[in-house]
Amino acid sequence: MLRRSALPPRTWLPRGLSRCRPLHSPPPDRTSPEVISLLDTYSRLPPRPVPLSTLLSFGSPLSPESLLDSASYVLHELPRRLVHRVHSFDSLPYIVGTNPFIARTRQQYRSSFIALASQSSVDTLEDNWAFSQKLEELVKIHANDIPAMAKGFLESTRYMAPADISKFLDAAIQSRIAIRLIAEQHISLSRALRDPSSVSHNIGVVNPNCSPAEVIRMCASFVGELCEATLGSRPELIVEGVKDATFPYVSVHLEYILTEIFKNAFRATVEHHRAQKSTGPLPPITITISPSPCFLSLRVRDEGGGVPRNNMERIFSYAFTTAGRSAKGDSNDDDGGPYAAQHIGGSAALGTGLDSMESGDGGLFGEITGKALQTGLGTIAGLGYGLPLARRYASYFGGSLELVSLYGHGADVFIKLRSLDRGADVEI
Amino acid sequence: MRVASPWPPARSLRPSSAVRLLSSTTASYNNFYRNRQLERYAARETRRLSLRQLVFFGRSMNEERLIKSANYVRTELPVRIAHRIRDLQALPYVVVTQPDVAKVYELYWTAFEKRGFVKSLYLIRRYPQINTTSDNEKFCNFLGSLLSEHSGVIPALSLGLSLSSPHLPPDQLDSFMRRMLVTRISRRVLVDHHVALSRAVAKHGAVDSHQRIGIIYPNLDVKACIMQSVKHLKARPLAPLDITGIDSGDIPWPDVVIDGHVDTTFAYIKEHFDYMVFELLKNSMRFTRMFASRHRPNEPLPPIRATIVAGPDDIHLRISDNGGGITTPKVSSPEDLYSFSHVRNRSRLEGERLGALRDVSSSGRGMTATFAEQLADITPAGVSKPDKIGRIGLGLPMSNIYATYFGGSLDLMSLDGWGTDVYLRLPKLGTNLEGIDI
Repeated sequence: MLRRSALPPRTWLPRGLSRCRPLHSPPPDRTSPEVISLLDTYSRLPPRPVPLSTLLSFGSPLSPESLLDSASYVLHELPRRLVHRVHSFDSLPYIVGTNPFIARTRQQYRSSFIALASQSSVDTLEDNWAFSQKLEELVKIHANDIPAMAKGFLESTRYMAPADISKFLDAAIQSRIAIRLIAEQHISLSRALRDPSSVSHNIGVVNPNCSPAEVIRMCASFVGELCEATLGSRPELIVEGVKDATFPYVSVHLEYILTEIFKNAFRATVEHHRAQKSTGPLPPITITISPSPCFLSLRVRDEGGGVPRNNMERIFSYAFTTAGRSAKGDSNDDDGGPYAAQHIGGSAALGTGLDSMESGDGGLFGEITGKALQTGLGTIAGLGYGLPLARRYASYFGGSLELVSLYGHGADVFIKLRSLDRGADVEI
Repeated sequence: MRVASPWPPARSLRPSSAVRLLSSTTASYNNFYRNRQLERYAARETRRLSLRQLVFFGRSMNEERLIKSANYVRTELPVRIAHRIRDLQALPYVVVTQPDVAKVYELYWTAFEKRGFVKSLYLIRRYPQINTTSDNEKFCNFLGSLLSEHSGVIPALSLGLSLSSPHLPPDQLDSFMRRMLVTRISRRVLVDHHVALSRAVAKHGAVDSHQRIGIIYPNLDVKACIMQSVKHLKARPLAPLDITGIDSGDIPWPDVVIDGHVDTTFAYIKEHFDYMVFELLKNSMRFTRMFASRHRPNEPLPPIRATIVAGPDDIHLRISDNGGGITTPKVSSPEDLYSFSHVRNRSRLEGERLGALRDVSSSGRGMTATFAEQLADITPAGVSKPDKIGRIGLGLPMSNIYATYFGGSLDLMSLDGWGTDVYLRLPKLGTNLEGIDI
C-alpha cells in the first residue's frame, strides 16, 4: 500500500500555472499559449501503470484526509493519460480526424484534459465535492465514446487499414478503462464520505462481494426483454454451478461482459431456431458459475448454431458484425446496418444526461443500453464491438475470454475473471 | 609416421552406460561409415498415397490390384523407416546417447545392418517380390510381426526424450515426437489397410464397400461407437486404486448422456475414432469420480454429456464433464498436456511417470496405441496393473495426434473448479479426401 507521504504534495501543480485560478472560469481558449503549455508539460510525463491496491487504499479506511489524498492522486494521474488520448487522435490520418464522430470524441478528450490540467489543488472537502461533481460531468460526457468511435471508424474503413484501427482502439479502450476506474473510484469515495447512508454495499469501484448470480439475473432480464422486443421471443437461461459464489470484482465490468455475451447468445438462439424452422421450444442457454482459488470462471453455453470456422478469427476483431448485412458480409456500405444506426442515433444524438448514473450501479451498463431502451429501439445486435470489448474487459485484470464454436449446433464462451482481493497485484 | 587415431580408445572415456551400450554393437564408431546403405533408402522419396486413392483403390479391389498393393507396401516401408532413422541421427548427440533413445536408435539401426532381435525390419528390406495370392498371404502374416516388434518404440522414445528434455527446446522436442508418431500411424494405416483388404478379398472375393473398405468405415455410427466405449469402461471393477493412488471408493462410474445430432454417421477409420473416444471418456470418468469423491460424495453423480454435431464438413464431438477441470500448478494451459517437454508439462519428468514408462518399455508388450490395446488393458487380466497407458501419460498426446492426422483438432477447455470440455473435430473423410496423404 502506497504510503500517503509518498504521494506528491497536494499543492503540486505543473509549473507555469497560477494556483489561484477560480474553479469555474471557462477553460482557456484551445489555441492559447496556456493550453499549449499544459499539453506540452503533461506530454512529457510518461504513462505508467499504477497498482490497483493504491487506488483502493484511499477508501480503506475512508477519511477526509484520505479523500483529499485521493483527489490529489486523481489530479496526478488523469491529465497525463488524457493527453495521450489526445495525441493518439492527433496522429490519426487527417481525413479520419475530420469524421464528425471522431472529431467530437477528440474534442471531448481535449476539453477534459484542459479541465483537469487547469484544475487548482483540492484542499478542502467543499473543493472536493465540486471537483467530484466535475468528474462526474466528465464521465457522462465520455459515456458514448465507444459507440461514437465505432461509428466513426466504420465510416472510415476505406481510409485506414484494419490493423491500424485495431491498434488505435485497443489502446483507446485499455486507457479508457483505467481512466474510468480512477475517476469512478474517487467519485464513489466522495459520495460515501458526504453521505454514508447512501452507500449500498461497497465503497469504491471494487465490490468485495460481487455475486455473479445477481449480475447474471440482472443482465439476463434486461437482454431477455430486449430480445423479446426486437425478435419476438426469448430463450430461457439456466444457471448452474456454485450459485452463491461471490468474489471481489468491479461489478460494472462483469455487467458489461455478460450483457454482450448474452446479447450474442440470445439473438443467435432465436435466429437459429427460426432458420431451422424448428417447432419445439427455444433451446435454453446455460451459464455455469465456477469459483477457483484466484479466479471466478463462467461458461455460457448456447444452441445458437455456432460460428463457421472461417469467421472465427474475425469475430474478435472490431466491427465485424452480421447485423444488417448481406450474408456475404460485404463492407462497402459501412453504416453497420439498421441496428448500428439505431444505436448511435439513439444515444449519441441525445448526448449526455444519464439518470442511471445516480444510482451508482448504472455505470457502463446504463450508458450503453439505457438510451436504447428509452428510445424504444433495440440493439440486440450491434456494431460488432461486443465480443472484442468483452474480451478486453475480461482480460483487463489478467482474466480471459474464449469462444469455442460447434458450427451447426452452438457455441461455448469461457470467461475467467481474476479475484481482486485487496487489488491483488494488478496494475492499471 | 604413425598418425594418432582420431578416435580415443574406448577405455579412456567415462564409462557411461550410453557409451557401453553403443560400443556393445559391432564397431559402433564405424557406423558413421556404414551409413551409406541407409542413405540409399533415405534418398528415395516416399510415395505417399492420398486417402482418396486408398479408398478408390480399395473399392475396386481384385486379386491383381491386391498384389500391386502388396508390392507397394513392401517397397514403401523400408524407405519410410530409413527416413525415421535419419531423423534420429539428426537429433543432438547428447540426446541420442541417452540410454533409452539409444535403445530405440539401436532398434531401427540394426535392422538395416544385420539380423538382430528385430528380424522383420531387416527382412523387409530383402523381402522378395509378391506375385501370387498365397505370396500375399504370407506377406500379410509377416507384416503382422513387423509392427508388433516395434511396439516398444513409443514408450522408450517417450521416456528417452522426456529425460533429454533439458537438452532440447520444447518446440523441437515436440515436433520430433510428433513426426515419429504421425509417420508411425501412416505405416500402420498402410499395413492395416492392405491386410484388411486382403482378408476381405480372401473371404468374399471382393470388398463390400458399404460396411468397410479396408480399415475405413464409410458409415461409422458415432453414437454406437460412444456407447461401445461406455459399455467397456463401465464394466471395469471399481476397486483398484486410481493411478495416483486415490481411492474413489464407492462412487460408481458416471453415466454418459448423448445428445445433439444423434443419428450422425460419417466415413472414418474406426480404429482411430474408437481410440480417441475411449481415451477421452476414460479421462472424464476418472476425473468425475475423483472430484465427486473429494467434494460432493453425497450428491447424485452428475453425468458426462457427449454432444454430437454434424457440420457441413466436419463432425464434432463435445464431451463435458464435472470433474473439476484440468489446470493445475503443473500444467498452465490444457495444450501443455500434449507436450512431451518437461518445460511445458512438468509431470513428464516426475519419478512416477518415468518409472511407469520404464516398466512399459522394458516389458515385452510395449505400446501400440490402438483400441484393441485399450480394451486388452481393461480385461480382468490387464486390470491387475492399474491403467497402464494412463500412467505413462501418452493417451492424450496420442489422441491429439490421431485427431490432427487428417486435419482435425482436439481442444481442451477447463472450467477450473467445475469440469473440462473436450472438443473433438474430425473432417468427414467422405467429402474431403484431397490433400490428405498417408
